[in-house]
Amino acid sequence: MSSWLDYTINGLIVGNVYALVAVGLALIFGVSRLINFAQGSIYLVGAYIGWVAVVQLHTPLPLTIIVVAVAAALVGLIIERFGLRPLQNSVRIAPLLATIGISFVLDQLVMLTFSPNPRALPSQLPDVRFQIGGGTIGPLDLLIAGVGITSALLLFVFLRYSKLGWAIRATAQDRDAAMQMGVDVNRVNQAVFGIAAALGGISGLLVGMYYNQIDTAMSLQATLKGVVAEVVGGAGNVPGAVIGSLLLGLVESYGVAVFGTSYRNLFAFLLLVVVLVLRPNGLFASARQAPPEPLTGTFIAPSRPVRIPRWALLIATAVFAILPLLPVSFYVLQTLINASLLGMLALSLTLVAGTIGQVSLGHAALLAIGAYTSALLSLTFSVPVGLAIIGGGLMSAALGTALISPSFRLRGHYVSIATLAIGEIVSLVILNWESVTRGPIGISGIPPLSLFGYELVSPISIYWFSFIAMVVLALLQGRLLGSHLGRSFRAIRDDDIAARAYGLSLNRYKSLAFIFGGFAAGVSGGIAAHLYSYINHETFNTQQSILALTVVILGGLGNVVGAIVGAVALVGLPEVFRIAAEYRILIYGIVLLLLVRFRPQGLLGTM
Amino acid sequence: MTNTPPDALLALTDVNTFYGQAQVHFDLSISVPRGHIVCLLGGNASGKSTTMKIILGLVKPRSGDVTFDGASLLGLTTPQIVRRGIASVPEARRLFADMSVRENILMGAFVRDDREAIAQDLDKMLTLFPKLGQRLSQRAGSLSGGEQQMVAMARALMSRPRMIVMDEPTMGLSPLYVDRVLELIRTINQEGVSVFMVEQNASLALEIAHEAYVLQTGKIVLFGSARALKDDPRIRDAYLGGSEAA
Repeated sequence: MSSWLDYTINGLIVGNVYALVAVGLALIFGVSRLINFAQGSIYLVGAYIGWVAVVQLHTPLPLTIIVVAVAAALVGLIIERFGLRPLQNSVRIAPLLATIGISFVLDQLVMLTFSPNPRALPSQLPDVRFQIGGGTIGPLDLLIAGVGITSALLLFVFLRYSKLGWAIRATAQDRDAAMQMGVDVNRVNQAVFGIAAALGGISGLLVGMYYNQIDTAMSLQATLKGVVAEVVGGAGNVPGAVIGSLLLGLVESYGVAVFGTSYRNLFAFLLLVVVLVLRPNGLFASARQAPPEPLTGTFIAPSRPVRIPRWALLIATAVFAILPLLPVSFYVLQTLINASLLGMLALSLTLVAGTIGQVSLGHAALLAIGAYTSALLSLTFSVPVGLAIIGGGLMSAALGTALISPSFRLRGHYVSIATLAIGEIVSLVILNWESVTRGPIGISGIPPLSLFGYELVSPISIYWFSFIAMVVLALLQGRLLGSHLGRSFRAIRDDDIAARAYGLSLNRYKSLAFIFGGFAAGVSGGIAAHLYSYINHETFNTQQSILALTVVILGGLGNVVGAIVGAVALVGLPEVFRIAAEYRILIYGIVLLLLVRFRPQGLLGTM
Repeated sequence: MTNTPPDALLALTDVNTFYGQAQVHFDLSISVPRGHIVCLLGGNASGKSTTMKIILGLVKPRSGDVTFDGASLLGLTTPQIVRRGIASVPEARRLFADMSVRENILMGAFVRDDREAIAQDLDKMLTLFPKLGQRLSQRAGSLSGGEQQMVAMARALMSRPRMIVMDEPTMGLSPLYVDRVLELIRTINQEGVSVFMVEQNASLALEIAHEAYVLQTGKIVLFGSARALKDDPRIRDAYLGGSEAA
């Protein structure tokens, strides 16, 4: 039986662990205005290096911590030198995307090396509990608290009294001015990435010991929690990140105490959304501070889109339309069906990211809403499947827009964080709202696709169905972007202050884009639900959101044809080359990295 | 104007600078003789601030050369240029707002490692800028504009530079502080530091400068000793946008 004191202790201990991640994020954000989405991957690497040290090399605990810190710091230095430094003069979105790509690559490398199965990571500490007041505390709790407090003190002394520490603080406040004092900004970046990675790695080790288990899914969770804590404390604010982390730990722990374990993450993300909406500069930001990131226009790579003649598009459409009549295998059709589903999601994302500059990292949530709506309409209310799918699209449009609307006033990185959180919230609500969504069991026995009473079971009919849906959505979107409305969208993306000065109502246009985009994604999710016949809260996960983003970047942000070409390329090419499934995510990560480095405007150019 | 006088500490020779397609400088040549105060005058968008950035290595010219004490600065990073002995007082001061006044001034000595001498120089700054003495532990961002300008100048001097470049040092200051700042620039110069300053306010700048250049849409249209330029009617023209301004 746990007491409130136990929950408080647990919250503070977990908060300490988050702090080790969040402080690193805050340092990096301070110096380079970048949210490092690879921070969780370093944490993962730290945990697995710790596992190798403890289980295979039998190192004593202090040595384990040192080994992990040094190894993780090395990974951080490599990321900075080869992943991010080449992007210094690139558009603002480039490093953000690069860290996402790097995290994919690192996570997959760990998974391929160690297999996705969880492993036990023993703490090497005696398993005793001391009574204090109404609660208990163990040696591991004390170790975590000790490491957390020691790191914070060391960091404070370093920043306040060392020359490099001064350089870091000066660079964080004014990069150009720091350079004019003779500060070598590259060295500062290096130092910051090294420190952040060392702390992140130690955090992974401690968490692994705390739960006596490590697995590759830890990575994304750690990034998310770190980001929540950092934003709550105020992006770039190091002491704020510590307090934000402890607060997050406590909120989660009390949330678990009252509602149960499956609510832990829900509380974390709700806290984030509340802070982002009410105090986007964090709880402790001074009112003086400028609004975060006035960086529209420079966020996305400008370019001239590649013009594709109309006849070429018509021929391509015709070829794909008659493809099933040719002797092609079931396997090819299956691949192209997947490509059209992804294509619809990419159309949706390219609209909101490429035309109003809202780079969403939670787009899979729109799929989930469409899928659940369509599945439940057809199962519970016996709505014909064709109509149910449209219902799914409408629900995604309405609910998606309503959910995202609080983040309309955010820009740049903050949009990405908010959409990521909203995506997680949707998934967690689906998990916990059992009376409607059937919770963790998921929905099975979803009726197959049908149209006017005819069931579509043959691959050919399913192919045509999804292909036509995608083409219709693409045509609509093309019309939309060519219209006056499309121009207004782009004006908002390029400079929302100027757009506002010309009398454009940002919220209205952002809503319109999300309504249209939400519909496309919802239809895609609806079709998927009937195709899979079983869905649960994990069917549409963050990985799909990132995949959609990669497709959109590949095709060129905002580019309608590009979204479809990107989807076909990303789904099709691994099939053509028969790349084993476990290497695919790795390939996607590498594709994203190469694109950001060498062709940030994508294959067909941004619009 | 391409021949560089032999005693030039800093020299820009035939510099052409572009931002994308747009050309900012056209065969720009400027030289700052050792021990002089040289002023670059010009209106908005004439390319003044870009000239500062070229000297500091923040912007790279497409062609031409920038030399300091006879050696080219092209290809050096900003920190390397600072280590050669050029300190800067950037436009709008650019203090580290959340660091204390003391930390800001000491940041100026970032390129130095001689602790005792740095401490002595800090004391020297406090005699040169007595007002800052009571403000040392205050956040730099909380000071008035004039006080911030003092901090920025002290910060620049802390690197013991051979030359200071200043971008509009009097901008946005009260008349009282404007006089004070000009006086200080003269004092600094008398101690042997060469000064290159960019200014919009011609009459003020010409009071303290030895030589001045007038920059108009990226070209030097006028050059001479400050004394001669003061009486030149064309100065006025250049400022009011002039009839030949294209």
